[in-house]
Amino acid sequence: MKFFGNLFVVISFIVFPAFQVGAGEMILKEPPKSINKYYPPESQPSKWIQQMHKMSTHFGGVFINLKEEDFDNVDKHADKLVEEYKKTSEMVPEWEEYFDIKAAENFANAAKTHDITKVGKASGRLGKTCGKCHAEQQVSVWAKFHWPNFHKIKVTDPISEKETAYDDYMGSISSSFKTVIVNFGEGQYDRAAKALKMFKSRFMELKSTCSKCHINQDAKRFYVGPEIDSALNELNKELSSEKPNTRKFWKNIDLIGKKGCKHCHLVHRTNSLIKEIWQQSVKK
Amino acid sequence: MKNFSRVLDLIIGVGLIGISGIAFVYFLINERFEWIPEVALELVRDQEILKRPPAKKCSECHKNIYEDWKESRHSVAWTSETFIEASENRSKEKCLPCHIPQSIQGEKPEPRTDLRDQGIYCVPCHFIDNKMQGPYDLLAPPHPTFRNPIYVRSNFCGSCHQKTFKEWKATEVEDTCQDCHMPREKSRLTQKKGLNLLHKKRWVGDHRFLHGKITKEDVILETRWETKFFNISLKNQTIPHFVPTADNGDPRLYMYIKFFNGTEEVDNAKEIIAPQQETALPYNKKINYRYRLFDPVSKAVVELKYQPAWSKEKTEVFSKTVTR
Repeated sequence: MKFFGNLFVVISFIVFPAFQVGAGEMILKEPPKSINKYYPPESQPSKWIQQMHKMSTHFGGVFINLKEEDFDNVDKHADKLVEEYKKTSEMVPEWEEYFDIKAAENFANAAKTHDITKVGKASGRLGKTCGKCHAEQQVSVWAKFHWPNFHKIKVTDPISEKETAYDDYMGSISSSFKTVIVNFGEGQYDRAAKALKMFKSRFMELKSTCSKCHINQDAKRFYVGPEIDSALNELNKELSSEKPNTRKFWKNIDLIGKKGCKHCHLVHRTNSLIKEIWQQSVKK
Repeated sequence: MKNFSRVLDLIIGVGLIGISGIAFVYFLINERFEWIPEVALELVRDQEILKRPPAKKCSECHKNIYEDWKESRHSVAWTSETFIEASENRSKEKCLPCHIPQSIQGEKPEPRTDLRDQGIYCVPCHFIDNKMQGPYDLLAPPHPTFRNPIYVRSNFCGSCHQKTFKEWKATEVEDTCQDCHMPREKSRLTQKKGLNLLHKKRWVGDHRFLHGKITKEDVILETRWETKFFNISLKNQTIPHFVPTADNGDPRLYMYIKFFNGTEEVDNAKEIIAPQQETALPYNKKINYRYRLFDPVSKAVVELKYQPAWSKEKTEVFSKTVTR
């Protein structure tokens, strides 16, 4: 019996998050404005995620204590879960329909029987209410609140020394990079060398940009680290020579493109694009 | 005449007793305050001070220190426009521990929840473990002050200025952060009338936390021409940490190089020397820069300008013309 109890606890923890991914397709709508007050900058700390953790902890607390046969704490967690569930249901009025108070109360009543089969059955109906909301809203909430907003970042362009919007700055870097490549392709090595100087300066400025969010050096060194620095120096060396080596030139361009640009874009760009689309739809 | 003499004796006697009394109290307060029974001290204690008061409360006695602190960057750690902008309206959690510290004790502090507008003020630095602490053991009637040697050591500042502290440590220079940024002078710790005269003068650190001016004596420029290249080296000769330095701020030195052929500017270059770009100048080490000359060049003008983290204004460090 104890074996089945343990098995059930393990299965519930696996199945519960799995409720969240049921949808075959997803529409990423910007979360309703009423949730803004539970996240920075309107709220410090992030009250919404704290609320999610509270419910998750009490839900888990019921199963953990059932397993440990600590029935007083089973009852306490069951009551607290209902209390927090009700509280959460009132926080974002637009999402009220995701909540089923009756399902939460049924789960608490089942928990108080201390019968794991009854608890398991009641948890399914409650879990589905969480899962539906997560499936439809979780990615949007994470995209909006848990990722920094690149569109708010300002970068001082090292060439003009003017503050530039992040998106525009990315355009400037891209343009400098292309100027190097195009001029090299045309055999205009002096022009390519001058453009490289500009590109290097702009690319290295990104180290300061990374530091606006990342507290340690590792993140920026991953994208704009010694490998990139060395590639830029190699490029400079080639362009300063009488007859630049084409193979070495493209090898270093490729390295900068992959390790610098692509790695950062893989991590950050999807989120940035989602936010950009939301911003554009607001402007329309 | 006899009466006059008696009155004079009385005045002199009372005067001598008064002076002796004041001298004794002065001696007692400054040298032997442990002789004063705790019961007597309790009568003059100000309990409000032991409840983490705002800086204004401390200024009732420590007026000079308060006024120095008001001029410092520490006092605007939470309210400066640069900080509000850089922290996205104070929402970046990484900024909070050092901009609104609860208690500084040689390690990264926790952020506090009260009196945030005060930034880094008296309490986080001097009220540790529910006791007022400083570089001296003092009677200070409103509150006892306990000596803690950490106040004259660099690791205290290193609680927040961790990167700068590591840079300084690597130089093995003996001068501490406080030696340069809190130069001491002999003065009284309190300016409250009456109390000030009872306190002897002590070495008091400058609470403006001076931000030294970078000059051409600090950063040494050397240049060398080659047929197709112009070489520059910069050396931070006097400042025992990187220049500029910052954990999270973005102070910069801008080096502008303009190349001329006669009076016509034919090319230019620029270097950004900044801690966040890992290009800041280490102590006592030459950093070299090399520029290819594309056109005929007869002279170069090298300018170095400094822009602190909290300002967009640049000030000149030096400007030098180098002829070929």
